[in-house]
Amino acid sequence: MPLAPVEDKVTITELVENPYPLYRRLRSEAPVCAVKAVGRVMLTKASDTRAVKDDPDTWSSDDPNTPMKRAFQAHTLMRKDGEEHKAERGAMMPTFSPRNLKTLWGPAYETFAGRYLDRLPRDEVVDLFPTLAGPLAARILAEILGLPEASDDDMQFWSQALIDGAGNFGWQDEPFERVDRAHMAMNALLEKNVDRYRAEPDQTALSVMINADDPIAWSQIVANIKIAIGGGINEPRDALLTVLYGLLTNPDQLDEVKRSGNWGAAFEEAVRWVAPIQVSARRATRDTEIRGIDLPKDTVVMTIQASANHDEDLFEDGHLFNALRAKNPHQSFGSGPHHCMGAHLARMMLGKIMLPMIFDRFPNMELVDPSSVVWRGFGFRGPLNLPVRLN
Amino acid sequence: MPKVTFIDADGTETTVAAKIGDSVMQTAMAHGIDGITAECGGAMACATCHAYVADDWADKVGPAGETEADMLDFAACEVKPTSRLSCQIVVAENLDGLIVYLPEHQV
Ligand code: HEM
Ligand code: FES
Repeated sequence: MPLAPVEDKVTITELVENPYPLYRRLRSEAPVCAVKAVGRVMLTKASDTRAVKDDPDTWSSDDPNTPMKRAFQAHTLMRKDGEEHKAERGAMMPTFSPRNLKTLWGPAYETFAGRYLDRLPRDEVVDLFPTLAGPLAARILAEILGLPEASDDDMQFWSQALIDGAGNFGWQDEPFERVDRAHMAMNALLEKNVDRYRAEPDQTALSVMINADDPIAWSQIVANIKIAIGGGINEPRDALLTVLYGLLTNPDQLDEVKRSGNWGAAFEEAVRWVAPIQVSARRATRDTEIRGIDLPKDTVVMTIQASANHDEDLFEDGHLFNALRAKNPHQSFGSGPHHCMGAHLARMMLGKIMLPMIFDRFPNMELVDPSSVVWRGFGFRGPLNLPVRLN
Repeated sequence: MPKVTFIDADGTETTVAAKIGDSVMQTAMAHGIDGITAECGGAMACATCHAYVADDWADKVGPAGETEADMLDFAACEVKPTSRLSCQIVVAENLDGLIVYLPEHQV
């Protein structure tokens, strides 16, 4: 059978600016396609992205030739398979239990959200990226992970350093040096907090992991707290900005959601429309094929959930934000054993708490000049700014 | 082929023919049953395939395993003694006629 066709025209700059035109073309012309700019085979159809993630025996999460291991100074749970993955994931899971969400993290988020909204000025233009979405996502995560002393700025700096390091496919020095500085600060705080949580255990991720009956290795506790720092700030941040943009540019939908109270559906639609994590990599553990295209052992594919979420087979007008969709089988939280550990948390924070709260406080919030909002990102994607007037 | 009946929270019944060896979750997905989301595709990582086995079938289907019971804690709706993750129930000849109730929501 043939190998994947090659697309060699699109540039990485174009993908970072707006990858959706390429995805639309690939879905119709070459749903299994080697894209030169990223050096990977892209899968753009919903049934394929899902089938790959649901078959971890054929498709490993361990992609050894990426800068991620260097950036994290460790092999994290995101890149492990099978029993090893299960053990490390299970170590952190209790923190995210529904009971903790309801009794601890929900009330904590509500308090912080109220406080951060109180600080925002009324009747002048304010950008919600640096004043609300970023710092609030950082604050709640610091509390949940067991790093309450870390400032919002610390958390955001560490998270970005980890992301930039893991995405440093050019193997430049600067991103690695920056993330190494971040590690020193993170390691110092983690070590400092261990004694306290041994003496006074609570439900934070650090405490739960060190006080387990049969704890995983300290190196892995540290690595997996960091995976949560790297993967727990920018997605809720970007999802909040995206859903606000979607609702504010579609006032009819906003009115209907205010009436029905179905803020959860608006949140789901935002993460479908622009998936905060757009792509996930998997490596073939054996020779295999998809849609009659040969994929030899060790081929690394990019499963493009951003494209799956716009697939014409599942969604009508997938390029449009529509908070009133009857069905929304998006893949923004991934699928298979690596399905997002923070999915229930994110849904609660944004769909159940933030959206009703912000529109209750500022019922006449306006987006100032929607065309000035800049969207960026290939691996992760969201608005870089969201200028609004609150009232 | 064994028949499986899904009864959603509004009481709407849908009976479908299931493939032996498929999970009840896969059966629901194959027939477009809305009340099952199954976001993790059966990896026992999401608890969005929660279903209540009808009382008459509970013994035949059996209770949730240990990991499954832990994961059920993450279900969005109330967990009852008959709660199962439908991705963990495998359709077999002796389950012909199985009835499962679907919770009001999965997320
Ligand atoms: C809207 C918000 C979010 C989105 C869209 C999102 C998306 C995702 C996706 C797509 C994956 C799977 C990656 C893969 O398959 O390779 C993932 C995994 C993960 N997410 Fe999230 N995420 C969100 C929020 C969060 C939050 C708030 C946390 C907080 C701790 C978090 C923690 C994790 C962790 C630890 C994993 C790795 C799970 C594993 O490999 O087993 N996420 N997320
Ligand atoms: S499909 Fe995710 S737990 Fe059953």
